[in-house]
Amino acid sequence: MGSWTAFVLVRLVRLALVLAGVAAVAFLLAKFSPVDPIDAYLGPDIARVGPEQRALIAEKWGLDQPAGVQFVKWFSRILTGDLGWSVTYNAPVADVISERFRSSVVLMGLAWVFSGVIGFSLGIWAGARPGSWSDRVIRLYAYILAATPTFWIAILLLIVFSVGLRWTPVCCAAPIGLLPEDVTLLQRLHHLLLPLVGLSILGIAQIALHTRVKMIEIMQSDFVLYARAQGGTTLDIILHHGVRNTALPAITVLFASLGELFGGSILAETVFSYPGLGSATIEAGIRGDVPLLLAITLMTTLFVSVGNTIADVLYHVADPRISSASETWRGVAE
Amino acid sequence: MMKLSILAAVSTLSLLSAPVLAAEKSELVLAIGGEPDTGYDPLLGWGRYGHPLFQSTLLSRDADLATKSDLATAWALSDDKLTWTISIREGVTFSDGTPLTARDVAFTFTKAATAGGAIDLHAMVSAEATDDRTVVIRLKQPWITFTENFYSLGIVPEATYGADYARNPVGSGPYRLVSWRQGEQLIVEANPNYYGEKSPFSRLTFLFTGEDTSLAAANAGQVDMVSVPAALADAVPAGFSTVVVDTVDNRGIHFPMAPDEGKKDAKGNAIGNNVTADVAIRRAVNIGIDRQKIVDTALLGHGTPAYGPADGLPWSNPQAAVTFDLDAARRLLDEAGWVPGADGIREKNGLRAAFRIHYPASDSTRQAIAMVLAELLKPLGIEGTPNGTTWEGIERVMHSEPVAFGWGSQSPLEVYSLYQSGWGGVDYYNPGFFSNAAVDGYFEAAQRASSLEASYPEWQKAEWDGATGFSTKGEAGWAWLVNLDHVYFANKCLDVGKTQIEPHGHGWPITAGIQGWTWTCN
Repeated sequence: MGSWTAFVLVRLVRLALVLAGVAAVAFLLAKFSPVDPIDAYLGPDIARVGPEQRALIAEKWGLDQPAGVQFVKWFSRILTGDLGWSVTYNAPVADVISERFRSSVVLMGLAWVFSGVIGFSLGIWAGARPGSWSDRVIRLYAYILAATPTFWIAILLLIVFSVGLRWTPVCCAAPIGLLPEDVTLLQRLHHLLLPLVGLSILGIAQIALHTRVKMIEIMQSDFVLYARAQGGTTLDIILHHGVRNTALPAITVLFASLGELFGGSILAETVFSYPGLGSATIEAGIRGDVPLLLAITLMTTLFVSVGNTIADVLYHVADPRISSASETWRGVAE
Repeated sequence: MMKLSILAAVSTLSLLSAPVLAAEKSELVLAIGGEPDTGYDPLLGWGRYGHPLFQSTLLSRDADLATKSDLATAWALSDDKLTWTISIREGVTFSDGTPLTARDVAFTFTKAATAGGAIDLHAMVSAEATDDRTVVIRLKQPWITFTENFYSLGIVPEATYGADYARNPVGSGPYRLVSWRQGEQLIVEANPNYYGEKSPFSRLTFLFTGEDTSLAAANAGQVDMVSVPAALADAVPAGFSTVVVDTVDNRGIHFPMAPDEGKKDAKGNAIGNNVTADVAIRRAVNIGIDRQKIVDTALLGHGTPAYGPADGLPWSNPQAAVTFDLDAARRLLDEAGWVPGADGIREKNGLRAAFRIHYPASDSTRQAIAMVLAELLKPLGIEGTPNGTTWEGIERVMHSEPVAFGWGSQSPLEVYSLYQSGWGGVDYYNPGFFSNAAVDGYFEAAQRASSLEASYPEWQKAEWDGATGFSTKGEAGWAWLVNLDHVYFANKCLDVGKTQIEPHGHGWPITAGIQGWTWTCN
């Protein structure tokens, strides 16, 4: 019990430090970026807005103060739970993020689970019989996809399934011209399908390749040889020895891919006009909307850090040797 | 078996999403971009171009940009040009049923002045309602371009305007908002309380998809109109026809006007350029390049030659256009003492006729224009070196070297911003420090005119009055090169009628005439 409390406390302190560091660095980067938020906001209307109006906008947005003051103000507001105001969307940052997150979380969550489950299964299947036809096919698939950019796959899917075959819709999270309250669950899933496939396909390749290598290693180990000598079938060996042992690299890759998932979702959402967090991130970036950009950055950091912590905990579950090793180590240290 | 059932499920789903065909076409789906991220609040700039849909404006413009009465039934400027008295139409109600009075108009102008959006009302002192039907707007100085706001500022209700207005707009326009899923689509319905002509389309869906996706939607037959970049304008989907709209969405290069005397601006960037300070060079560039060649090469034919910042608009001077004449340009340079050197590039007193042409590297159209321009300058004996950079890089050099800029607005204020000497070097306005007393004088006279229409001749004289002006024949402060065509694919049955000359910005401006659109099939 005591060690768990310490574990959580240490993790929390570390997380707070990471978040503060990321906030400071991200703020600096945003301030050093050549994007002028007012120019970006006015766009082609620049010549219709005089210098006095620009000064008024800067004052409204708090841009007339030195960067240091801006950061302190923003940071102290964050501590009270106020994420600030997004000038891009003319709405509180918290509202923008929660609204966007609701669409994104289903897409990203499902894509993450699918890429994990399917990638892991394919990896084990391929690694169980290296060199076989199934292994070659899976490997070819994984290599091609690992080298393919998301937006390209997404456009390809769109051309084949939406324009060519017309099985799936070309865009959006709901049918064109339908009111949100009239959209059925089936329609929602239908619109989720293509972005989900586009996003899952890439994660699958990574995890399958890592799992496959580990699986091959295990299949050549002494304990598998011993199991075979005892008359175990390949299926027995996979289930009893393969799954647990290959889980470690799969878990590592799966949780480490959370950040990539964010990146991938930005591209997939853009192609399919799926209004999630990804498109908000792009807008915040190119428009120099610092409060929104920082809030999204912090959220992503939180997401990835928590994911890594969960991965660490899962190591202990998947492989008890890690727990016992750390206990032994602690014993020595004391 | 498993695969078959998935296939079956997918095809059932696709049936569910097939568009429902109505007997009479009363709904349109448009993928023409233009989503305002900040929402539909006129006080923050919604409705600056195109149609504000939800709100109505005091005045509007027809397809020829002539003024039409809208909410205002009469408007008069006082003799000292400082006070506008505007009579408001009777019997107008907002979409929520409340009446629209002069007080709402006064509130809209007063509130917009301090809202800190993309609407600049600094010329205004006050806006007051003297009774239910009359608004009096006072100006700080005679400023005729203030009328721009009469065409673009949508009137909002004083009683219910609040923080959430941008997402729940209430106005007196032809449509009211039904649903807006940001980043995805906007659905609007005809406003039953609208006082004007009713459109045959009672429901519109605006799809805010990217260019590729919009085109895919058109190919899948799911939209009635889509805006397309010029590069893709030749791939017309089946059932669609091409609508090409003339624009003032121009591209050109500006010339730093002053010689380089070591002066710096406030940020320490150099001002002036000894080559472009010579008017012979500026005129020769303007006369000696074949603009049609730039259109054909850089724009694949989807554009027109440009001679001024506002070609075709009522305040531009058609006399200011020049004809391409390579020999005349060469003569001009010879007479000014620019002698061809060993490598064919002209020189004068040891100074090479050479300058860089900067363009934002992210903009492939401007890159192509800069490249073609550099080629066209060679026969003149002038060396142009295209240089792709960032906007930040451009800001550092724009007072001392030419840059490929793009402008285009339906307001003469833009002409003022680009050439008025007082705006020299202020942000992006007048980056070349153009300064000419006669031009400033005409601008002053234009701003003091008794109406926008009465100011047109003054703007035209500023461009070219027969002796001088900012245009090619006069001081040649810029070399305007091309106006981009805006290309739309519209369903063959959709008739959009005559279109306005569109400003910089492709997409939403086509909605300016939306109330006149008709469906020609049954």
